[in-house]
Amino acid sequence: MTDDPDALFAANHHRLFRYFCRAVGETETARDLTQDVFLRAARAVVPAGSEGEVRSWLFRIARNLALDHHRERARRPRPVELTDAGARVPSQDIDLAVNQALAMLPDLDRDVFLLREVGGLGYDEIGRTCDLTPDAVRSRIHRARLHLRDQLAAPLALRQTAPMRVSGGER
Amino acid sequence: MVNDHIDTHDVISAFLDDEQFEANALVEALSQPEGRAILIDLIALRHLTRAEQGTVPALKPSPRRRVEIRPLLAAAAVLVALVGGYFIGERRRDTETSTSPPAATRVVEVQSAWQEIKPGSM
Repeated sequence: MTDDPDALFAANHHRLFRYFCRAVGETETARDLTQDVFLRAARAVVPAGSEGEVRSWLFRIARNLALDHHRERARRPRPVELTDAGARVPSQDIDLAVNQALAMLPDLDRDVFLLREVGGLGYDEIGRTCDLTPDAVRSRIHRARLHLRDQLAAPLALRQTAPMRVSGGER
Repeated sequence: MVNDHIDTHDVISAFLDDEQFEANALVEALSQPEGRAILIDLIALRHLTRAEQGTVPALKPSPRRRVEIRPLLAAAAVLVALVGGYFIGERRRDTETSTSPPAATRVVEVQSAWQEIKPGSM
């Protein structure tokens, strides 16, 4: 794996941004945090290793930033949403429902799930990122999916009326 | 029963995640209506979770663009200074080089209050 900053950015910024979008639930904050990951990476020495190992390292930075953000947000009063619920389009409602269901998960289960589903990491990479064994990763992903399946029954039924594809091989 | 359900889901998850799984376990899981329902739900869940919340950001700071903008800003500032200086200079030249008095714009006629008094009349 190259330690060229441009290559590192090109290969990972999209998946990191998507991870932050779900992990913090705010697009603007996700942009800032994604940039912070690369700023921190630029100041550090990129570990020598496979592509997966470098990706695990980047996501470990990302995960720490997301946790810091959650701690910081917990200290501040939460802003009240002024948007009229009737003014939101259905896709925004579903997005909100997904974020709310994710917020109900234990922190580690949510991270493991997001690292797999939006970060595109494999079980080994997630294990390195979160200090878990692959079996523990598999178990936590499974638990998170069961929870989300229960919480999102209505949006899932609606989604199944549209064409789908598995697209599970994204790494 | 709970454990059966967990195992069924587990092998389907591993299949969807492109991880190692036992083919026989997957066949067994998908032979049940519940297993097939879980498979479809998990694919739908993946679509919901991966739906784009925003556009991909142009995050990378572009030093090249900054370098290109700075000379342009400097050139614009010099141009504004030159044009402004030219006009100010023109205006001053007009006022400083003129020696003749300005042309009258309004003529006021004053009635003379002077009266000639003959000597010895007072």
